[in-house]
Amino acid sequence: MDELKQVFLQESNEQLDALETLLLELENRPDDETTLNGIFRAAHTIKGAAGMVECAAVESFAHVVENVLDRLRNHEIAVTTELAALMLGCTDHLRVLVANEAGVAQVTIEWIEAQGARLLAELGQYGPGGQVFATPKAAEAGVERIPSNRSGHNCWHISVRFGPDVLRQGMDPENFLRFLETLGHIQHMETLTDIMPPVAEMDPELCYLGFEISLESSVDKQAIEDIFAFVRDECRLAILPPNSKVADYLELIESLPEDTLRLGEILVRVGALTADELAEGLRTQAIPAAAEQPDVLQIGEILVAQQVVQPELVAAAVAKQTQVSEKKAQDAKLIRVPADKLDHLINLVGELVIAGAATSLLAHTRRDGELIESSSLLSRLVEEIRDASLQLRTVQIGETFNRFHRLVRDACKDLGKDVQLVINGGETELDKSIVEKIGDPLMHLVRNSLDHGIELPAVREAAGKNPRGTLTLNACHDAGNIVIEVIDDGAGLNRDRILAKAIERGLVDAEAHLSDREIFDLIFAPGLSTAEQVTNLSGRGVGMDVVRRNLQALRGTINVDSHSGQGTRLTLRLPLTLAIIDGFLVVSGNRSYVIPLDAVVECIERPESEHNRNYFNLRGQVLPAVCLRESFSLPGERPARESVVVVQYAGQRAGIVVDRLAGELQAVIKPLGAIFRHLQGIGGSTILGSGEVALILDISALIKISGQAEQRLIARPELRNA
Amino acid sequence: MLVDDSATVLLSISGILAKAGFQVVTANSAEDGQKKLAAGTKPDLLITDLNMPGMNGIEFIKVVRQRSDLRFMPILFLTTESQQSKRVEAKAAGASGWIVKPATAETLLSTIKLVLR
Repeated sequence: MDELKQVFLQESNEQLDALETLLLELENRPDDETTLNGIFRAAHTIKGAAGMVECAAVESFAHVVENVLDRLRNHEIAVTTELAALMLGCTDHLRVLVANEAGVAQVTIEWIEAQGARLLAELGQYGPGGQVFATPKAAEAGVERIPSNRSGHNCWHISVRFGPDVLRQGMDPENFLRFLETLGHIQHMETLTDIMPPVAEMDPELCYLGFEISLESSVDKQAIEDIFAFVRDECRLAILPPNSKVADYLELIESLPEDTLRLGEILVRVGALTADELAEGLRTQAIPAAAEQPDVLQIGEILVAQQVVQPELVAAAVAKQTQVSEKKAQDAKLIRVPADKLDHLINLVGELVIAGAATSLLAHTRRDGELIESSSLLSRLVEEIRDASLQLRTVQIGETFNRFHRLVRDACKDLGKDVQLVINGGETELDKSIVEKIGDPLMHLVRNSLDHGIELPAVREAAGKNPRGTLTLNACHDAGNIVIEVIDDGAGLNRDRILAKAIERGLVDAEAHLSDREIFDLIFAPGLSTAEQVTNLSGRGVGMDVVRRNLQALRGTINVDSHSGQGTRLTLRLPLTLAIIDGFLVVSGNRSYVIPLDAVVECIERPESEHNRNYFNLRGQVLPAVCLRESFSLPGERPARESVVVVQYAGQRAGIVVDRLAGELQAVIKPLGAIFRHLQGIGGSTILGSGEVALILDISALIKISGQAEQRLIARPELRNA
Repeated sequence: MLVDDSATVLLSISGILAKAGFQVVTANSAEDGQKKLAAGTKPDLLITDLNMPGMNGIEFIKVVRQRSDLRFMPILFLTTESQQSKRVEAKAAGASGWIVKPATAETLLSTIKLVLR
């Protein structure tokens, strides 16, 4: 695919996204001019771009869409739900057409054509008189060559009086004459300067010239007229075909402002008429023929009218577009960079961090003061470069959220529900690679909420709730993580049904005593769906476990919180970046571990007396303690004084018991291979300045493991002494 | 100078012009074009789209025309057949002529030849 095509594909997809967003906005605010104009412009740009790359299918379809949008913009037709739906359908179809152009369409040509024909038929209803298809430009009726009733003259006669502003519009009258030469040969030309005022009154920027031209050429009238197309409205142009009747010339003479006799002489001079023909003609036709006159006047009137209207139009347009232009000004500062270049940069920065750590380690072992100082300056800069380059890859999550407007709207139509989507924190930024990967899981969650969560309007009303359901998407930063919440005010999860289903599927023991949270967690188990009916959207029971797996692959977690009758809240926590983190290095049993610094609250010492307990006392607060030595079965003797790193995750606190603290570092995350995927409590690995490998702890998993162990002990106290 | 918000249009037209031996400066918005003009670009010809977000082409033409050194520079605007009424407006703003999108290399170059001094 050549570069132009690629640019086109990318651009059309962007414009289609914009089109879709604006169409959805239009449904809420049908009279908003900015939105209407934006919609029209998007369709227009797609059409224009498609024309440039000779993509006829996209161009012609976009053209029809544009026609309807133009009428919409001019308030010739009203915004209706049906029309909006149709336009969304057209957007989808354009997407398919573009995808087809890229060779990635997943449908057959026949399907595309059938779909296109159906949409065109529907669009037809919105055209003027049920017709929006642009009729191909009617071929200008060829000027009939009048059989010669006189001899000699075989030239076109062109009579032109330029408008006074032609120079100010950047045109040079001379150019037209030169261009005429390319069509044929100018036999004769007279320059008319009759309207030129005296030198004192003359404005050198105005054009006072007129020409009478005799052109020998084989082109048709249209070709000659086309040359003057740009000045057609301001100038007086008359083109007489070769061998025109004398009467036509006389008519022309009458219609022109200059003195009749003088013009007659000029025409004789350029060879259009003979002196005899002129004399005879003027005699026989005493009454001035003014056939052309009314037309000329009309054009003038229209021009005047338009010039009167214009200042107001412009003022209104300026007011309307102030907002838009601010946004555009921001856009203009953006540059496009291929994602793999950024990835490469981030990789390099990662290596730089490791190399920097090695240098700094070396400086410390050499005990060279100056070297230490310079390497610490270097590390600070490296840290800044790291943050700045990671920032390059961050995007706002709003774009992902906005996609759901369409989903919610369509789903509501399908399901007969009424749901409003509320988005908070769309400006929250996170790594693009994460954004790309959470789109699908999020979509699944939103669909689930629409499908199973929010009830039908009638059911809601019966329960005393607002018949219109609310689905809220929240995003915010929290301790080095991004938190995304999907909240619905629907019926909530049905605890008993989930449990019954889980027992039926053999996922849990019928005897087991489970907390609410554990039961809710069961919805993430494979093969569990409580939806009574499988719908288009969800209920096939393959979703939630996939969602959780996807999130876990991103080092993220998902939590469910639900209250019967009040709704469900799904909380997703994800790391901000997948590449580099600030870490806190600890050592246990001579092995190094990294705790994400964002999770660390404080460090305290642990007296030997508390060594055998799995809890500890933090200023009167009892917190669970996870001993790395025990959890990972590390060899060696316990040191006399252990340290506890107090960590916080998702509102929970715990202590991690380690042998020794080794300070902060930047950890370039290297993912663990597939073999280690089942490992719990380890999130990845990193390479230290010394070349040693350190494991990065997965705090959420560690806290969970310790909690589970504790609960097992509570359930079966006999194990405690074992 | 070529001003258009569509990257496809910019790339294709500038390609045609460059091949014909023109030196092309592109701008992806009227604001961008204004900035480049302010920075000292003195084009022999300006080709601009009319329908752009932010400052539209007609406003842009007016602004350019107000500069004393660009008062007589030929200005062409890009238009489509469906935008007839815009032509009058753009002409009143000071445009010299128009190019109907999508234009073939041939029409594009002959139009330019018509207006270029």
